[in-house]
Amino acid sequence: MLGKLLKYDFRSMGKQFAFVWPAVLVLALVNRFTFGGLFQEGAADIGLPGQMATGVTFLVYWAVILATMVLTLVFIIQRFFKGLLGDEGYLMHTLPVKTWQLILSKLLCGMAACIISILAALLSVLIIVPVPAADLLGFWPELFRALGSQGVNGILAPLELLLLALAALAQCCLQLYLAMAIGHLFGKNRIAMSVVAYLAINIVMSSLFSTAAASFAALIGEQVTELINQRMEASVWGVWHSAVGLMLLGSAAAAAIYFFFTERILRRRLNLE
Amino acid sequence: MSEFLVTCVGLTKRYGQKEALSKVSLQLAPGRIIGLLGPNGSGKTTLIKLLCGLLQPTEGSITVDNSPVGPRSKAVISYLPDRMYYADWMRVSDLFDLFADFYADFDRERAENMCLSLGISPSDRIKTMSKGTKEKVQLVLVMARRAKLYLLDEPIAGVDPAAREFIMNTILTNYDEKASVLISTHLISDVEPVLDEAIFLREGQVVLHDSADALREREGKSLDALFRDVFRAQTYEGGAL
Repeated sequence: MLGKLLKYDFRSMGKQFAFVWPAVLVLALVNRFTFGGLFQEGAADIGLPGQMATGVTFLVYWAVILATMVLTLVFIIQRFFKGLLGDEGYLMHTLPVKTWQLILSKLLCGMAACIISILAALLSVLIIVPVPAADLLGFWPELFRALGSQGVNGILAPLELLLLALAALAQCCLQLYLAMAIGHLFGKNRIAMSVVAYLAINIVMSSLFSTAAASFAALIGEQVTELINQRMEASVWGVWHSAVGLMLLGSAAAAAIYFFFTERILRRRLNLE
Repeated sequence: MSEFLVTCVGLTKRYGQKEALSKVSLQLAPGRIIGLLGPNGSGKTTLIKLLCGLLQPTEGSITVDNSPVGPRSKAVISYLPDRMYYADWMRVSDLFDLFADFYADFDRERAENMCLSLGISPSDRIKTMSKGTKEKVQLVLVMARRAKLYLLDEPIAGVDPAAREFIMNTILTNYDEKASVLISTHLISDVEPVLDEAIFLREGQVVLHDSADALREREGKSLDALFRDVFRAQTYEGGAL
């Protein structure tokens, strides 16, 4: 059933971004000839009208990039708020599916929208300022070699970073979902209460993490410092591995907590008045 | 295994201090057309939403087709809400796809034929439809299922008499006779001829529940007249000191 839910959420995403993502790439292509052209060797003097045209297309490009990012955030919020807590919820919550599947489908779709928007923005930069394929591909083996000489695992390290980025993204989306789920429990001012809930979650989680970190440090502070010193001496990889690992654990734990409470609220306290 | 399709025991729903439904216990048999009758605010919509899982009871329990409210009960319930529930980006064919994907009992051919008879094409966009057409599409989706329980929340409220007739005909000619249909309404005269059973709700409590014939015989009046008697508003008459 999750696959079927994803099918409709992804179709909804396709409709939402059908013009925006191609627009980013098309504008990047235009800017390649206007803005990018300025940096090419032997570029001719384009005069004031040419400079103005270049400026305008560059501004439009940035406006569309900004709009894409805003639209992505709005999409993540709206697909959950309208799709599960608004009128569309009357359909979604009467489908013979489990609540966690509804939430997971929105989450995966929201994360995919965010990732594609970021990739479109990165690709657009590469289009404007073209980097020769050899430079682009040649960069990675060099980086891995450099990291390897410091004892960093060249495959595991980027993989860990990727996992951390995904966990952090899931955490951000799920914090928004939990805030909206809490906000919907109120009879009135649901949007305002969602904002209050979002801020409250922030405060609770940051104090929880700082307390946990302080307790942990107090408990085995000296040993940890010593361990870190030892690892630092042993390898950069050890420190990297520990730091990224801890951050990944923190993000994943927060995401799991948000998911758990969001599911519980929607399953046990759903209130589509 | 209960012989009843729906069993509610001590069902209570509170919104803060306000009790929308109070200790409602009832059993509904299969193969019946049941009127859920009461004035606005009597708890009809709340009861229907509890049955289809859009609200959670404060107290009490519900079973539908011997299952608690959940994916299994939802698979046998066809629900017509009192609002439009689909996304604007969809076409009618997208909705057919969605219903066919999630409900094993959705009869796509029947849905397409019903739409054709209404002059609605599967490629029509929901966004461009009038409110009335959107309501018809929703009714088509709900009635094209071979469900065990149809929950119809105010299907004839706010429409003209011709549309009311169309809606009632669509319901009567399309529901599965082994299924039960629960219709909530305060427009009694329009549904009275088709009702097998009636439930009168007042301020969240069941005040009458019996077969339509038994009620008419016992009270010596039509359900419409009985409704007017039961729910007659207490007018302020003033009076001399």
